[in-house]
Amino acid sequence: MQIAVSGGKGGTGKSTVATNLAVALRKLGVKLTLADLDVEAPNDHILLGVELANEEPVNQFMPRFDYSKCTKCRKCAEVCEEHAIITMRDGTPFLMPTLCSGCRACEIVCPVPGAILEAFRTIGHTYVTPTPYGFTLVTGRLREGEERSMPLVVEARKRAEKVREGLLMVDTAAGTGNTVSKAIEGSKLLIAVTEPTPLGIHDTELILELGRLMGIPTWVVVNRADLGDIEKVRALAEKYGAQIVAEIPYSENIVKSYVEGKPIALTDYPEAEIFKGLADRVAEFIGGDE
Amino acid sequence: MQIAIASGKGGVGKSTITASLLYLLKDEYSFVAVDADAEAPNLGLLLGVTKWDEEREHLGAKVARINTESCIRCGICYERCPYGCIYIDDEGNYVVNELTCEGCNVCGLVCPVGGTISLEEVRSGVIQKATTKYGFPLISAQLDVGKPESGKLVTDEKEWAKKLMEEKGLEHMIVDSAAGIGCQVIASLGGADVAILIAEPTPASLSDVQRAYKVVQHFREPAYLIINKADINPDFNGLEKWAEREGIPILGRIPYDRAIPESMSMLKPVVEAFPDSKASRAIEGIAETIKEELLG
Repeated sequence: MQIAVSGGKGGTGKSTVATNLAVALRKLGVKLTLADLDVEAPNDHILLGVELANEEPVNQFMPRFDYSKCTKCRKCAEVCEEHAIITMRDGTPFLMPTLCSGCRACEIVCPVPGAILEAFRTIGHTYVTPTPYGFTLVTGRLREGEERSMPLVVEARKRAEKVREGLLMVDTAAGTGNTVSKAIEGSKLLIAVTEPTPLGIHDTELILELGRLMGIPTWVVVNRADLGDIEKVRALAEKYGAQIVAEIPYSENIVKSYVEGKPIALTDYPEAEIFKGLADRVAEFIGGDE
Repeated sequence: MQIAIASGKGGVGKSTITASLLYLLKDEYSFVAVDADAEAPNLGLLLGVTKWDEEREHLGAKVARINTESCIRCGICYERCPYGCIYIDDEGNYVVNELTCEGCNVCGLVCPVGGTISLEEVRSGVIQKATTKYGFPLISAQLDVGKPESGKLVTDEKEWAKKLMEEKGLEHMIVDSAAGIGCQVIASLGGADVAILIAEPTPASLSDVQRAYKVVQHFREPAYLIINKADINPDFNGLEKWAEREGIPILGRIPYDRAIPESMSMLKPVVEAFPDSKASRAIEGIAETIKEELLG
């Protein structure tokens, strides 16, 4: 089974919830793999205090033109939805690499065998990192300067599927664009982490809407629950048929344990109980199906 | 002058600080503000915008659709989709997941039955313009849920902002960018004269702001750093060390202050809601430095 942790707004505590929930679930005996699919700003390894390991490049196709064979028919440029191929006045094609999405549409339409050759460039990396908490962390990390996070999300997901043991828990990027839906896709449960500020509430509605469109049952975890109007979150959750499953107060203990690189779920602080409670509910939800 | 404000990590206070800086600069300078976080736009809320003067739909995003009538269920589209966006539904039909489709049209090109897969233009979101109660205009955008092209939305926003600058003779554009380092952030930083980076003293924020700075370096823009929640982690000096090593001037430090979340719930910049709070005084100092060093 797969479940997802997401939340619309950045900085609401998605990664804190994902990592601590993973730790707490493991303590309950649930086998799992955590996948950090926030490929633009992956932080789960920092929160878990581990160095990324087992790096593999994500190499994306890009066309290389064999100008001795190219007939300058311009079909490659016409078909490129990203306008990554420009043609000179005489039809000679040129590639602007950062715009290329690697979709191979140009290669498909090129009428001359061998005029478009395969070249690749590394747009990021995936990692498989053992953690001292009894589960493996899979991370996707986009290279700085690259625009497209979708291929990284896809490749990190694939790698996570390959190494997964038991439950697959994904942690997504902020926002509600199509890379977030790609990360969430296939999940049986969406845990939306929110905060009760007006900004948090605004963005929560968007993620609840995404959950609704994807047909995934959604739970809400309210972080910094005392810094705003939680009633508004309740009303919103009700509107979308989502239930609030945990409330986490603003806590210096969480900040402290995070700075020390020790998940709060493993401490004696009262906040640890919240994650244990959440883990119990998740364990019940997934039943024996990991 | 075009100033882009970025952070890499979400939730470090980018929009809060931007709203306050706009408030403090509004009397002496003319500018247009741009909220370039199209997936989670919040600047309008913080500036108390309740109605938009003008809205423009952003069309041009494309998603593939499969006509199940003529589909022969050969599965080639399913195999060739580079992003795994085609699935087989309960009735055995091949269907495009429009919430993840990137619109590359590979499925349409490989489909052996002409006209079965079409690339359709859809709305990816809306771009809006408001006149804030503080007098300056704000351009904002909202990506539709599950749609591609948030970067293109930001590019369109900035084009609209540029036109507005010409029409109204505005001096500056101040862009509040999204979290991360992807297309939205690249569109935000592209063309800027200077980048202001905002970070908090945590290892995660350091890691993310370093990545954002690499994008800034791509564009060869000078960068400055603001440290928010500066006192939450007294033993951590990673941000200072990094800034010194890279030669990034620190514009100022803002202490953690509950006045900030309280001002957010009032939907006001903290410098307006609680001008005497310690956070507000720190932001005022930063605004003075920005006036002297950047805006002249």
